[in-house]
Amino acid sequence: MAANENRTDATVEVTAKRPFLSLDTWAVIFALLAGALIRAGVIKHIPW
Amino acid sequence: MAETLVLPQVHAANRPLQFLRLIPGIVLLAAIGYAGKLLEKNVGAYAKAHHWTFPNIEYVLWAIVLGLAISNTVGVPAIFRAGVATYEFWLKVGIVLLGARFLLGDVLKLGGASLALVAIEIAGATAFMIFLGRAFGLRPKLTSLLAVGSAVCGVSAIIATQGAIEADEEDSSFAIAAILALGALSLFTFPLIGHLLHLGDHAYGLWAGLAVDNTAEATAAGALYSDAAGKLAVLVKTTRNAMIGFVVLGYAIYWASQGQAKTVTNKAAFLWQKFPKFVLGFLLISVLATYSFFNKEQVGSLANLSRWAFLLTFAGVGLRTNFREMRKQGLKPFAVGAIGEVAIAVFTLALVVGAQRLFNW
Repeated sequence: MAANENRTDATVEVTAKRPFLSLDTWAVIFALLAGALIRAGVIKHIPW
Repeated sequence: MAETLVLPQVHAANRPLQFLRLIPGIVLLAAIGYAGKLLEKNVGAYAKAHHWTFPNIEYVLWAIVLGLAISNTVGVPAIFRAGVATYEFWLKVGIVLLGARFLLGDVLKLGGASLALVAIEIAGATAFMIFLGRAFGLRPKLTSLLAVGSAVCGVSAIIATQGAIEADEEDSSFAIAAILALGALSLFTFPLIGHLLHLGDHAYGLWAGLAVDNTAEATAAGALYSDAAGKLAVLVKTTRNAMIGFVVLGYAIYWASQGQAKTVTNKAAFLWQKFPKFVLGFLLISVLATYSFFNKEQVGSLANLSRWAFLLTFAGVGLRTNFREMRKQGLKPFAVGAIGEVAIAVFTLALVVGAQRLFNW
């Protein structure tokens, strides 16, 4: 198989240094913060 | 498929600027998602008022279709791309918040039952993909990446495995493109097949969670069927995601034994590093909801916030799918992926139907 036969336009930009917190961890922090604000009554109601 | 996965390296001084770069894309996700919601409401009402026979198209499909229309006609302008890439973040926020809609007992019961199905699915899918890769003469590491992407959790699993087995970036990019292309197709085929086979919400949710590779597509494929099916699809897919560390560790050990990857010295640290942390967030919110930390109204608000987060995700799924780019991919790995996906879909459907009859779910 030629080396470039499977070439794709997809690009994966991965930087050398790992970020301080992963995307997953930020998502958990965001969700827990939202939960805390709702629990504390700062956010009264979220409609749909 | 043109797919850019940006893992930003943020310098402290650049943080506000980096954040500002995300805003246009996030606004676009919200606008498309909200337009989908409005279309669901108004198109149905308009059709009814004019006595037209028109199927009830849910906001999930509208959001995906609007995203697809933009991506495949005018394209996504550069200014929006960084923000559009945040759909993965919104997906995970939505999953964590969805924990509020599950009592811990249900999570353990359903998660435990689905864990057995997930283990069978991972073993069967991995073995079959390796067989197909060899039969089609694909490079061994590309085969490994396609196998892990099909068996566990799509793009995340491929990226995690690429680093662990030191695969070429080209192999990784190709496996990602094939998995994304097949995931896009599953959005339209799974609900159709589910309706044709008259699957119940429970069976369909289990099937979508087991068979659709990428978490965003599994969530969307479930939600396209029904709210209950969507909920279960997310739970089963999350169980699959939780397995990622073990599968990647297995591949890392195999390729290290072949002298083609570094040896994993601290296996516990490796497993923790690869473990998707949003699964823990989902369980934590479920525990809090179970023990009445939130009252009924607050649980309702959390559930609605989860829906909003998923709405942005569905818009992002449409926006990042470009059919022109799909056509540019080489045929062989796509064929391996497609044959494998069809086989996995049939296999997991048989598993679900068999388990339902056996355990009378």
